[in-house]
Amino acid sequence: MANFILRKAEPKDVSDILRLIKELAKYEEMEDQVILTEKELLEDGFGEHPFYHCVVAEVPKEHQSREGHTVVGFAMYYFTYDPWIGKLLYLEDFYVMKEYRGYGMGSEILKKLSHTAVKTRCSSMHFIVAEWNKPSIEFYKRRGASDLSSEEGWRLFKIDKQYLVKMSSEE
Amino acid sequence: MNYTVRDSTPGDCKDIMRLIVDLAEYEKMPNEVKLSHKELEADGFSSNPFFKCLVAEVPEEFKSKEGHTIVGYGFYFFTYCTWKGRVVYLEDLYVMPEFRGKGIGKALMSRIAQIGRAQGCVRMQFTVLDWNKPSLDFYSSQGAVNLTATEGWQLLRFEGEALEKLAQNAN
Repeated sequence: MANFILRKAEPKDVSDILRLIKELAKYEEMEDQVILTEKELLEDGFGEHPFYHCVVAEVPKEHQSREGHTVVGFAMYYFTYDPWIGKLLYLEDFYVMKEYRGYGMGSEILKKLSHTAVKTRCSSMHFIVAEWNKPSIEFYKRRGASDLSSEEGWRLFKIDKQYLVKMSSEE
Repeated sequence: MNYTVRDSTPGDCKDIMRLIVDLAEYEKMPNEVKLSHKELEADGFSSNPFFKCLVAEVPEEFKSKEGHTIVGYGFYFFTYCTWKGRVVYLEDLYVMPEFRGKGIGKALMSRIAQIGRAQGCVRMQFTVLDWNKPSLDFYSSQGAVNLTATEGWQLLRFEGEALEKLAQNAN
């Protein structure tokens, strides 16, 4: 099986996108953390001011997965901003179903996104990877990615809802 | 000494740029700032802004040694988590040294938390340099969790030549 297409996601793709999000979360050993719904994905990605953009990889019907799916990979990204250099493309999720790996889909998706980044005058593409995820780290480093956590000491932080509420009421 | 926290306007861009450079100096990377205040203005105040910025302002009688009344800023934008939904990303938070200890940093952060909650954000995310103890302590006291330490996330990027190379063969 060699042919597939990459295209912009459409509203009809949200259930496939959510399915793949959950598969990726399972791979990252955090499946029960996914609480997002199809409705939210639809509203947040296809409304007037989308919070994200999405590209999907699709195979012809004759190559559908064991469960009958033709959307077999996706990448979700959005634009962020670095006050030192300007616009950046942030790669949030990037996944190809296990049975479709090794055909160059991942590489093509990454190329398409980097092309989008260059076209929209982004200075860089940023993303995070779990430190135990050696296959992915190698995949990215082979293509020229640098690890800013080791090279520059950046640590990623979060402040959850309950603390945001506390902070916003303490003004 | 009183201060106000307000939304920035295009006219604030020169001051915001000044503070961006100050913060870059503190982070020991002043030569990394390539952006001009004109680009900041174009990217932040068009019909499709790539970021939002709050500024902290003091009255004339409390201006800084060099005569500035804009003494702090909070730079943010919205991102997306495929597991939970909308996220508010705090890109930069900075208060001039002579104006610290008066609650300005906390006030900037609280207002951004409030704005995030109003937009339905489930959390606030940001990065901190591992040697920056004052900031690490401040964020910890506000309920922040270090995801690099607890979950092993590493921040990576593709930039410059590596990004161009990756984009070259896109279809």
